[in-house]
Amino acid sequence: MEAVTENLDAYVDGFLTSLSIILWSLVGSLVLGLLIAASRVSPVPPLRRFGLFWVTTFRNTPLTVVLVFCAFGLPELGFNRSFFFFGVLGLVLYTSAFVCEAVRSGINSVPAGQAEAARSLGLTFSQCLGQVVLPQALRTVVPPLGSVLIAMFKNSAVVGAFGVGGDLWSTGATLTSARGYETLPVYIGVAIGYLIITLTAGALLQVLERKVAIAR
Amino acid sequence: MHSRFTTLAATLAVASVFLAACSGGESEEAAAEPTVAEVPEFEAGTTMAELAEQGTITVGTKFDQPGFGLENLEGDVEGFDVEIAKIIAAELGISPEKIKFVQTPSAIREEVIEGGEVDMVVATYTINDKRRERISFAGPYYEAGQQIMVAADNDEITGPDSLKENPDLTVCSVTGSTPAEQIKPYLADPGQLTLFDEYSQCADSLSNGQVDAVTTDNVILLGFVSESDGDFKLVGEQFTEEPYGVGIAKGDVAFCEFINETLAANEEAYAEAWESTAGQVEGAETPELPEPQPCS
Amino acid sequence: MTSRTNGEPLVRLAGINKWFGDLHVLQDIDLSIDRGEVVVVIGPSGSGKSTLCRTINRLEAIDRGEITIDGQRLPEEGKELARLRSDVGMVFQSFNLFAHKTILENVTLGPIKVRKQSKADAEKRARELLDRVGVGAQADKYPAQLSGGQQQRVAIARALAMDPKVMLFDEPTSALDPEMINEVLDVMTSLARDGMTMIVVTHEMGFARRAANRVVFMDGGRVVESAEPETFFTNPTSDRAKDFLSKILNH
Repeated sequence: MEAVTENLDAYVDGFLTSLSIILWSLVGSLVLGLLIAASRVSPVPPLRRFGLFWVTTFRNTPLTVVLVFCAFGLPELGFNRSFFFFGVLGLVLYTSAFVCEAVRSGINSVPAGQAEAARSLGLTFSQCLGQVVLPQALRTVVPPLGSVLIAMFKNSAVVGAFGVGGDLWSTGATLTSARGYETLPVYIGVAIGYLIITLTAGALLQVLERKVAIAR
Repeated sequence: MHSRFTTLAATLAVASVFLAACSGGESEEAAAEPTVAEVPEFEAGTTMAELAEQGTITVGTKFDQPGFGLENLEGDVEGFDVEIAKIIAAELGISPEKIKFVQTPSAIREEVIEGGEVDMVVATYTINDKRRERISFAGPYYEAGQQIMVAADNDEITGPDSLKENPDLTVCSVTGSTPAEQIKPYLADPGQLTLFDEYSQCADSLSNGQVDAVTTDNVILLGFVSESDGDFKLVGEQFTEEPYGVGIAKGDVAFCEFINETLAANEEAYAEAWESTAGQVEGAETPELPEPQPCS
Repeated sequence: MTSRTNGEPLVRLAGINKWFGDLHVLQDIDLSIDRGEVVVVIGPSGSGKSTLCRTINRLEAIDRGEITIDGQRLPEEGKELARLRSDVGMVFQSFNLFAHKTILENVTLGPIKVRKQSKADAEKRARELLDRVGVGAQADKYPAQLSGGQQQRVAIARALAMDPKVMLFDEPTSALDPEMINEVLDVMTSLARDGMTMIVVTHEMGFARRAANRVVFMDGGRVVESAEPETFFTNPTSDRAKDFLSKILNH
């Protein structure tokens, strides 16, 4: 395992880069996913159609293709940002579709009467969603949402191949290809880096699951 | 030098650069086949005797490196590395069709030598001490050098030092490649380096303005320059020396010396090997065979 | 509530038609409810009475016709509709208390979020209302900890907290165990006595006799008969009403 110990600083750099990709994408895909889910259940038909279009597009397109369009397509249209931005953008667009569907399934699990009662009190659509439906949906949403997000954490490895570089995955490639370390130990180190992130997230999710289960 | 998950499509895209470059003039006929030694005699117990006896050799090479080792549409590998392997094999009495080429991306080159899966690796394999801890090198058979490619109208970048002077400039290379490592000392900020899986993606990003420069070995860059219709140019001198060696089992001094002698004795075949492959790119000069490094 | 006390009806339904697919569930309904009037809607199941009740605050959209509440036409989706709904209290068969909120929070949610009352004011009023319906002691519990009768009384308090112009009751006792029905009906009766305008869909004939000003009998998506309770129960004019009454009175 000297491949790991000798290059600890490279691993730490890679870990931090991956972590920042993940955190930005986490915030972005949760916010966007929630908005798309809201438009999918909204009473306005064009919004519902837009939501469906969004989900259909990004859920059924491979992540790498989405990333290609972000990293090469947008600059072609004169939209120049850092590759970090494009990478996070691609991951957010892609993941938002899955977040949306997890949230929507949670919304559908809340009895219709709850929303009817909220609406009959005069709550607006967003109040109804925010005050009554989503808090109750949370309980059923947390487990599938957790799977979606952990999948996103792992998908962040793909972003490294689109100009970002320096993330955990590319650190592995640098150590094996350019510096000549043995493949297996290097990638065991890479795996450990991702496991630190995903296992921590998994533990947090379990705490959260227990919390929302009690809140009733 | 290339990273590992190269897709076929992208490979073909890069390949087309070279094929287009080739279509300019001479026939695409591969180098005149080196004369296969009739009945080579080797001291019993050496690698050479073993290979000559068995009549075949397994060679690790790149399948995705234009000009050096690239799989063509028929499934054959072509390139300078491939021709070098043929020269060595011929001296062992092994004809080209008896050579088995296996794909060895950068990351696994030491592993396949250590594991005995190949008899030698000829794969744009830069000689360095880190690698020498695990394997031995014959050669070098070629001195590559890293250079910088920019858009033709860019007067700001004149070489790698320009990158340190202006931290807003970005440079692109390939994940896990030696050039990507070697450009790092010239950067003011690690964020200046953009990494992709393919040089063609770097070239795309250069043409749409996402990056300001691309860096890798000059022969690869020359391919892009000649394909770009005057949009790209090379700037500055070569700022690294990349001696390409033939990777063999650690400590096999006899085999190492045999390879060095073979290369030295086949100067003509060597020049032809270059001119029919990597040398087809406009602006690439035919190299002299470098002085061999001592075998160990 | 408003200064308008002329003879105009508070709720007016004119030419209401609604289809569920091919099923014509509401057919040319005309109905007016005056201020302070208590109207009980009865009829066999599938007669459209629940659907009718739910069209009044547009939980069900109508396909044709016009509904006005206090002279204002019922708007389509949006903020306007939400504002109008806040003036129409609704009590559901299955209570529909917000499962994740305490009893007190259930009652204060509307006043705070819709009427923009302060939390303190809303809670003070909520406790008064909960005392009035007899569940003041349960204020800090969650709905699931209450009996059905208690939950339904909370639901009534929740609706009352909005100071509605009219209250809709959609089979408020149908999901209750028999021993809990009366506690809910008692609250409703006292509301009626206090002058609340009420539209009540129910099978409770006793309540209809006791509290209603008018009984509307529906069958097959139409209003078949509309009369004072005494007249309706002792001397129904239509055969269908006679048939319906004979079935439930023998029951």
